Amino acid sequence: MRKRKIGIPRALLYYYYFPFWLKLFSELNLEPVISDNTSRRLLDKGVKKSLSEICVPIKVMIGHVLNLNQKDVDYIFLPRFRSLRKDVVLCPKFLGLPDMVRHSLPGLKTEIIADQIESQSDDISQYSNHQKLAEVLEISKKKIIIALKKASDFWQRYRELLFEGYLIDDFAEIEDLEVLEKVITKFENDSKPPQSRDQDIEAPANEEVVDIAVIGYFYNVFDQYLNMDIINKLKEMGVRVHTFSMVPEEIIEEELEQLRKPMFWEFTNKLYGAAEHYFKNDQIDGVIHLTAFGCGPDSMLGQILEVDAKDYKNAFMTLRIDEQTGESHIITRIEAFIDLLRLKKENN
Amino acid sequence: MRLSFPYMGPTIVYKKLFELLGHDVVMPPKPNKEIIDLGVKYSPEFACFPFKVITGIYLKLMNKDLDALVTSGGHGPCRAGYYGEVHKKILEDLGHDVEIIVIDSPHDDYKYFYDVIKKLKGDSSWIKVAQVIKTVYELTRAMDEVEKQVETLRAYNDNGTINKLWMKAQEEFYQIKNTSDIKRIEDKYINKLNKFENFIPSEDERYRIGIIGEIYVVLEESINNQIEEKVNRFGFEVERSQYLTDWIRENAFPFTGKDLEEIEKKGEEFIKIEIGGHAQSNLGHAVDFKEKGFDGIIHLKPFGCLPELVSQSVMDDFSEKYEIPVLTISIDEQTADANVLTRVEAFLDMIKEKDLREVM
Repeated sequence: MRKRKIGIPRALLYYYYFPFWLKLFSELNLEPVISDNTSRRLLDKGVKKSLSEICVPIKVMIGHVLNLNQKDVDYIFLPRFRSLRKDVVLCPKFLGLPDMVRHSLPGLKTEIIADQIESQSDDISQYSNHQKLAEVLEISKKKIIIALKKASDFWQRYRELLFEGYLIDDFAEIEDLEVLEKVITKFENDSKPPQSRDQDIEAPANEEVVDIAVIGYFYNVFDQYLNMDIINKLKEMGVRVHTFSMVPEEIIEEELEQLRKPMFWEFTNKLYGAAEHYFKNDQIDGVIHLTAFGCGPDSMLGQILEVDAKDYKNAFMTLRIDEQTGESHIITRIEAFIDLLRLKKENN
Repeated sequence: MRLSFPYMGPTIVYKKLFELLGHDVVMPPKPNKEIIDLGVKYSPEFACFPFKVITGIYLKLMNKDLDALVTSGGHGPCRAGYYGEVHKKILEDLGHDVEIIVIDSPHDDYKYFYDVIKKLKGDSSWIKVAQVIKTVYELTRAMDEVEKQVETLRAYNDNGTINKLWMKAQEEFYQIKNTSDIKRIEDKYINKLNKFENFIPSEDERYRIGIIGEIYVVLEESINNQIEEKVNRFGFEVERSQYLTDWIRENAFPFTGKDLEEIEKKGEEFIKIEIGGHAQSNLGHAVDFKEKGFDGIIHLKPFGCLPELVSQSVMDDFSEKYEIPVLTISIDEQTADANVLTRVEAFLDMIKEKDLREVM
């Protein structure tokens, strides 16, 4: 029998969960099909089919769903991420994503599997989060639970590496499970530290190496097309790049205590905790808040960070990306920021 | 305590509430161009419009020597529930020393809720508090009743005449001392308004528009360019999906909003789960308006509103399925009166035109 094809859009939380999904679907004997990398064409299609004032990441997501629709897949896997922690949900647009896709894309013929994810932690491997999947694909509960367990273990290894200081960029290009397994094993046994921890890296023209924390959601920081490849640009300029996924959960929890009430959005809270942590970290020289056009939670977070940053010596900058960002604008901004950090270092 | 609050809808209700509890209340200024500009200047660029307006109102109040600003909180995921916290940061950063009291649900943080209530209660006894709440609720309900009547009658009568009555009614409501005053004033104005009912045409010549959307822009006429009056002027009756009474019923008194829940459930067809704000219930109200025989729906939202963007995304599908025209208007500091007027006029013309063709 031909393997059934299940499409995964390369957008939003894909960057965080793709090892989990790849492993899960291969265990279930399905063929995962990942949408193409974000590109001008793909994004344009997404922009055309979504509301003009909606945030860029959702436009990107719509583009990827349309892309999968053309790829002749049997299903599109589009879970409704509701909550990853008790009493904290995700942005309303995540909560309404499957509804938006169903009702605003009349040309969409592929069946959508939209399980509701409600978990107590970032580990989403509970059976209750995959009931629809089991139902639609007619897979027995027992079989799916075994597969979920394996996928969860595999994902934990990936997550451990992220905590250790690897960037999602180091994996995100990989679409094949076997290759991914090899890379993860290789990193686990590697004696060379990840870029963010590497003391031996060199900056061009003998400039000083600086440490910058890029604070932003996975889908803004690691979508290389959308952010004009900012991570690699920073690296080329002699920057050790840190992201929020490297901050241990305990530290984020601790920083969150500062708020009378935490914000309502899971990843916004994580960014807040990480940013506050990096503000006072001596190893860090500067913090960049990378945000996308029209991001609602970020408008609140950004204001809080902007005010808080004044109390710390680490420099802070907000960088906004949208569907028409010109490359030169990003380069100019980060170059100026890095120059400023180097100058500051020299003066000390 | 000397306190104030954000301006939204029938503000005298809040004023009455705090006054009856024995506070010194400063009336917030009604939003205007100056306040909006001030708010825009000191708010994050992508904050939603109500946030900016409220920033402006707060800043305008800063020379009034206030002890506290009272506002409502929430548990999200709509951003409105977090306004208070961010406003605190902004005011602090600008060097203003004022407390912002956020009334959150007791479920979220019981101790904080209790402290807040104790502070607001002041020296009044709990029995007094219960009485005050009852009075204020009655007041809201009575005012909403009169306003509903106004929204119908204005369509068939001179706007000025009806508006004058409505303003007078508000002034009188403002003076009330107890619940019997409220009843008396309500009856008086309903009677006065009823005299205009003769002008209401026969059922098949009446046109009705339902207004749905985000609560702040729906309730606050100085922000939504008096959209109800505009619609009335073209001979269309208006009903909103939200009145302050409903909000109080849903949020303050448990088990009283059963009928509303049923309407909101109708929204599940388009938005499966509660996603914050009033997105799901708005769809429910839209379905409800259609079932009640309304001719069109105007959907108001602040620019970039998270939940309403989801409801706007599904609106086309709703409109097609239920065969009812929908006009969505995004409101922000750039919205011009003439723009809203033109769009509303075109929309209403289209509805009448469509109706005529169907008859012929």
